[in-house]
Amino acid sequence: MSDNLHYFATATQRWAVALPTRLDALIADWEHLRTAMIRRMPSDFSRDEWAYLISFLDGDNLMRPFVEAFGKPTANPESGCDALARPRGTVAVWLPSNVSLLGPLTLILLSLTGNRVRLKASARGNDLTAAFLGFASENLLPGTLRNYISERVALDQFDRHDPRNEELSQDASCRIVFGSDEAANADIRLPHRADSSVYIFSDRRSEAWIEPAIVSDNVVETLIKVFAIYGSAGCTSPSRVVLLDGSEADARQLRDRVVAAWSRIVRRQPAIHLASQNVMTRQWAAALGWDATSTLHNAAVIAVGSTDLPRPTGLMFLPIVAASRDDAVQQLPANIQTIGHAVGNPSDAAWLKMFAPTPVKRFVPLGRMHHFGATWDGWEFWRGMFETMTVES
Amino acid sequence: MTKLLEQPPFAARDEAAFVAEMNALTAWHIDGCPEYRRVWPAWKPADRAEDLPYLHAGIFKHVLFKTAGAGIEHQRTLTSSSTSGSDPSKIVLDKRSSDLQSQSSLAVLKDMVGPEVRPLLVLDGAKALRQRGEVMARVAAAMSLRPLAAEIHFVLDDVQDAATMNWRQIGDVFRKYDDVLIYGFTWILWKAWATAAIPADVLEALAGKRAHFVHSGGWKKLEEAKVDRAQFDAALLRGFSADSKVIDYYGLVEQVGVIYPLCTRGFRHAPRWSEAIVRNPWTLESIVGEEGLLQLVNVLAWGAPYHSVLTEDMGRIVPGECPCGRAGTRFELLGRAPNVEVRGCANV
Repeated sequence: MSDNLHYFATATQRWAVALPTRLDALIADWEHLRTAMIRRMPSDFSRDEWAYLISFLDGDNLMRPFVEAFGKPTANPESGCDALARPRGTVAVWLPSNVSLLGPLTLILLSLTGNRVRLKASARGNDLTAAFLGFASENLLPGTLRNYISERVALDQFDRHDPRNEELSQDASCRIVFGSDEAANADIRLPHRADSSVYIFSDRRSEAWIEPAIVSDNVVETLIKVFAIYGSAGCTSPSRVVLLDGSEADARQLRDRVVAAWSRIVRRQPAIHLASQNVMTRQWAAALGWDATSTLHNAAVIAVGSTDLPRPTGLMFLPIVAASRDDAVQQLPANIQTIGHAVGNPSDAAWLKMFAPTPVKRFVPLGRMHHFGATWDGWEFWRGMFETMTVES
Repeated sequence: MTKLLEQPPFAARDEAAFVAEMNALTAWHIDGCPEYRRVWPAWKPADRAEDLPYLHAGIFKHVLFKTAGAGIEHQRTLTSSSTSGSDPSKIVLDKRSSDLQSQSSLAVLKDMVGPEVRPLLVLDGAKALRQRGEVMARVAAAMSLRPLAAEIHFVLDDVQDAATMNWRQIGDVFRKYDDVLIYGFTWILWKAWATAAIPADVLEALAGKRAHFVHSGGWKKLEEAKVDRAQFDAALLRGFSADSKVIDYYGLVEQVGVIYPLCTRGFRHAPRWSEAIVRNPWTLESIVGEEGLLQLVNVLAWGAPYHSVLTEDMGRIVPGECPCGRAGTRFELLGRAPNVEVRGCANV
């Protein structure tokens, strides 16, 4: 019997959530770790990544999934609850094969659900989840979170052909798969329980949509920051900028502002290989017809062109195009995930009408494009980590 | 076509004449290749070699450049060997450039191995030659030695399998001749010859004979195997006469025929129809004495703008005269620009 029932209520429903630990103690421990993180950063992480993890561990942010799923915390309602939510059991997570913050972020969110978590990292390359767990084990005091991690979290590193994949899949009540379409398809076909649920986070693309009248130094700075973190390698990075109802002159003006501001915003010098690749990308873009410019030290290539031009693939290539709203919608890639906006009125119902027939998963301010949450790629996956028992009196 | 080829490869040259030829060649490509023109829309003739425009070597994996012009007949496509698993470069060959490139490689190789014509053993399979339309860079490199070859023997059926080495054929060649040229990619020579258990009768046949091993293709795989140059050379030369040599040459698939062998002092020299430039990776300014990205230029490439290529290899221009006596810019090759791990989400 769980001693840790937590109560929440929306306007229409009263919830009891059964967790294996006290939620307030767990969140307090995460916040304690956050304090240690402010003091020291492991070398595995970039400054941007570490700063984002620190902000993610804010107590209010950790409570948000509960509030969104079950309502505000309340005392034990005298009139009883309408439903009980309990962890589904074991969650298996296939982490992305490249270095990604998604592992640590998913782990943090899953820790709040009380489920057992088994994470599978790629056999090749570094893995930030292992680095983060290592930091946590060094810095957490004995207590709720430390116990949870040691007793209920396991991380293994093996390749996609390893027989342990099958075992991982078979044991899981929930499966979360990050990876390319090909890898995700292979993982979800592994033997699994008939009643298990699966959430697939595979190849995605995102865009930044900006109204020319809204362009300011702040917008330029934000655009540079969200793009510079991962370049085009991030599923939530802008793979292109669309200037809504703008002109090519507007696009060129924005390109020039981005190029001029880049070195002020991104102070690190790119690695030699990256600088070299960017020389290639600029030339490739130009050969294809883009008006492409390199930022200082070949840190990135910012280009202007028409919407029908083929795009070079380059880690730090950011194309800017001018398009009508209708054309922008028509040209959305099938795997669109996030649209980061800098528009006059993002609450206008016209946006919802525009996006209703599209596969867009998120419409968020430019600066929040990378913000991970309990709803991802259109799935309320965090809520899916609980099963529901309905209660009627 | 170019007077620069009329003199020995490492004789002194008139710099202004070289830059003038490069400017003329650049103008030719600007006129005849729209993609190149888009890359360098504001090109103006350069006063110095270091001001010449270039294309990054990686772009040839993505864009097929071709220059149209009087007398240019495009022929087969050369495909680079990709050891990294990335897309191969596709290089269009043309007759005019091929003729010039043959002259170039012959002149440079004669300088390194002497002018004698002798049998050539190629550590590759003859079937690699028979592919229509496309030719592997590895075979093109071997064929650059053809002018020095009295006869050619392909002695390795499958480059992936050292056991397919035709030792009987090799033994026959050494029983018949005292002086033999042997070409292979660096790692293939290591795997199929240097570390092979050479049959006793072949060891007997080659004992005391002169061999010139010529290899190219880079050291990456041998570095991974922790094999250094001295080890490599010694393993190849076992049993041969004391005047036998191992010659490591460097060249770009985009610039077949313009080759940069290692001299006895450990440097590479640009023949008089080419130039080596090193650029700061971030500012792209030309630098001397410091490590940077290597750019190679030559006056021989007419069918496509391969005349000036910024490589992904690191190099260093070494100022001053080389004790080996060769003129021409000397440089050190310092390996590939170090790669970095891509960070991001799932979709790369």
